Amino acid sequence: MNYDIRLEVRSDPRLLGLIRNLVHDWVDRFELSHDLVHEVVLAIDEACSNVIRHAYEGRADGTLEVRLQEEPEYLEVEVRDQGVPCPPECHERRLLEQPDSDELQPGGLGVQLIHRVFDEVIFCPGKERGNCVTMRLRRDR
Amino acid sequence: MTMKIDRSRSDQTVVITVKGEVDLYTSPDLRSAIMKAVRKAKAHVAVDLAGVEYMDSSGVATLVEGFKSAHEQSKTFTLVAPSDSVMKVLQLAKLDGIFEISPAP
Repeated sequence: MNYDIRLEVRSDPRLLGLIRNLVHDWVDRFELSHDLVHEVVLAIDEACSNVIRHAYEGRADGTLEVRLQEEPEYLEVEVRDQGVPCPPECHERRLLEQPDSDELQPGGLGVQLIHRVFDEVIFCPGKERGNCVTMRLRRDR
Repeated sequence: MTMKIDRSRSDQTVVITVKGEVDLYTSPDLRSAIMKAVRKAKAHVAVDLAGVEYMDSSGVATLVEGFKSAHEQSKTFTLVAPSDSVMKVLQLAKLDGIFEISPAP
């Protein structure tokens, strides 16, 4: 498949700003609201950060791939890695409606943000290595 | 610009002023600055976020950690003039109601 953009970078957190800038310029072409563009950039940044934190456990020498594709009905983003497969429960959507401050635990928030922004989120961990997260945003929002 | 942190201290208060982008790369430095401020402040910690152009969930988690640590030490923890970018991520995380938020001084 020929993607609009297929970006492959090292799993180095210093490169996250570069990914955000590219994603912003791509998303900004689709006449979405300013707020939604910001949210989509944030959600993709969270997916990339999760790859660095969890699949590569902070190592900067892994491969992080971001695929961006415009479809008639939706925008599709895939974030792929070749790191440690994350257990499916890592990507489950949990109810986090107005949490109490005593219940707040740092971590896990990024996945919830991804689910709040995108209409469809599909997580496919590999059997031995690698993960793929596919995120779709309906264009009629 | 990635992130820049300035600190100022008065009798009762430590103010942390953050500018730039807070993400997985920069949030550990913010965490260090905030936790140090919580330790050093006699009564109040204020985090000025007016100049923050971007914040992700690691930045939000850092603010939550500072908030909880300050409260455990019976100190106040206030977000000062958070930028639109900060407010958006706090609202998306449904955490905007947790923090005490004050306008620009």
